[in-house]
Amino acid sequence: MNTMNYLFAAYTAIWIILALYLYSISAREKRLREDVDRLKQQLEK
Amino acid sequence: MPGGRGSDPPRGAMPAKIWAIFRKDLLIELRTKDSLNAMLFFGIVVLVIFSFALESVRDSIRMAVPGILWVAFAFSGTLGLNRMFAAEKENSCLQGLLMLPLDRGILYLGKMLAATVFMLFSEVIIFVFSLVFFNLTVWREIPYLALVFVIGTLGFTAVGTLLSAISVNTRLREVLLPLILFPVILPILVMAVESTNIILNTVDYRALKLPLTVMSVFTIIFTTLSYLLFDYVLED
Amino acid sequence: METRRSTWFDTLLVVILVPGMILALYMAFLGAPRERTMGDLQRIFYFHAPSGIVGLIAFAVNFFASVAFLIKKDRKWDGLAVAAAEMGVVFLTILLVTGPLWAKPIWLVWWTWSPRLTSSLILWLLYIAYLLIRNYVPDPERRAMMSAVFGVVAFVDAPIVWFSIRWWRDIHPSPMLETGGLSPSMRPAFYICALVFNILMIYLIRRRYFLEMARHDIERLERRIA
Repeated sequence: MNTMNYLFAAYTAIWIILALYLYSISAREKRLREDVDRLKQQLEK
Repeated sequence: MPGGRGSDPPRGAMPAKIWAIFRKDLLIELRTKDSLNAMLFFGIVVLVIFSFALESVRDSIRMAVPGILWVAFAFSGTLGLNRMFAAEKENSCLQGLLMLPLDRGILYLGKMLAATVFMLFSEVIIFVFSLVFFNLTVWREIPYLALVFVIGTLGFTAVGTLLSAISVNTRLREVLLPLILFPVILPILVMAVESTNIILNTVDYRALKLPLTVMSVFTIIFTTLSYLLFDYVLED
Repeated sequence: METRRSTWFDTLLVVILVPGMILALYMAFLGAPRERTMGDLQRIFYFHAPSGIVGLIAFAVNFFASVAFLIKKDRKWDGLAVAAAEMGVVFLTILLVTGPLWAKPIWLVWWTWSPRLTSSLILWLLYIAYLLIRNYVPDPERRAMMSAVFGVVAFVDAPIVWFSIRWWRDIHPSPMLETGGLSPSMRPAFYICALVFNILMIYLIRRRYFLEMARHDIERLERRIA
């Protein structure tokens, strides 16, 4: 049935959008940890 | 900061201070006429572009005129708002102004007034051009149109002056202003276009009451809000 | 001063959320009855409407955080404000994507300038503008100030936008009708989905907020080193 395609597309879109945002937060957290490591190295010098 | 917020304000009541700032902007502009020329030219160009774009509906173009007019006004107005703060930032005039023991809100009111006057002046001329381009005759309608133009423009500059001060302080400078201004200004746009439509294309002037009220409420709310918030935007 | 983070609360939220989302999916697809006129397509509603609710709540949080920052000048509030704004944009994006997907099979058009959709679009644009401002102000203190001011302006503007668009639609009616109420048998699914989405919002706001606070701490450390 045609409407099932749209239903599927809608729920897929929801997951994709949420996943993208979660990924974006995780990527930024990773960059933060790298900055912390860099600062730690500078402090040790 | 010399002077400080707590010291005695200079001589003159609040209206006089607002007038002084307004006058300064007015005189500077009258000397060079840079902004006004750009605003006028852009507005008229928008009219021309729409005439070409809507050629296929030329016979009923009168229905589209209110929308075309206010798009032209909005774009032209944005240009004027941009230049108002951009020039000051380039020449660091803003720092000089901020040294005065002046309530920042008053600075806002003076600038808003100047922007309104510039915009209204451009609007009148753009409107006259539209009469020619779109073959309109208006006589009875002029007082009502004047009312709509004034209130609509006041609403536009009430928010526009604040947002222009914000955008000028970002890396994108003037480019950011349309992006942040147009969603905020949407109610004014909708109400102004409808009001102009009511005046030009219908005879039911009583229907003007609601849009004019909404525009006035919008203007009052955002003038007050901008007056209070302007200080936060300028902190240096 | 380093920001403290209670990780037990984060774990608790995740523990609630994982089965919660599964439950929400179950309710939407199997627990709720099949709608008479629209069929299974209507099940989009159980995630579409809560997204709208969460979006609105997020923007309200942004408003209060912006006002709080302007008054208290504490960067904590700025962190909350940006977290809430990003949440609002994410959930309104979901709303604006699921809306047309729902509309197309039923009314044969992707988009109608209906009051709710149009207002949602403008709200979405307003908060993207908020994020744009943040993106283009390099100094953190100024960034917080500017965006807080805009956050207040945007939120005050929102009801006026809603009212103007509704009035505009009344004047130029369009044949599309927005779906109305909820039959009682659908309410459990709706409430469960709404609850789960709100918990999801809280979880994501927390993560974004602590990310912002950590960045703040790093900036301070960098300044001390320099």
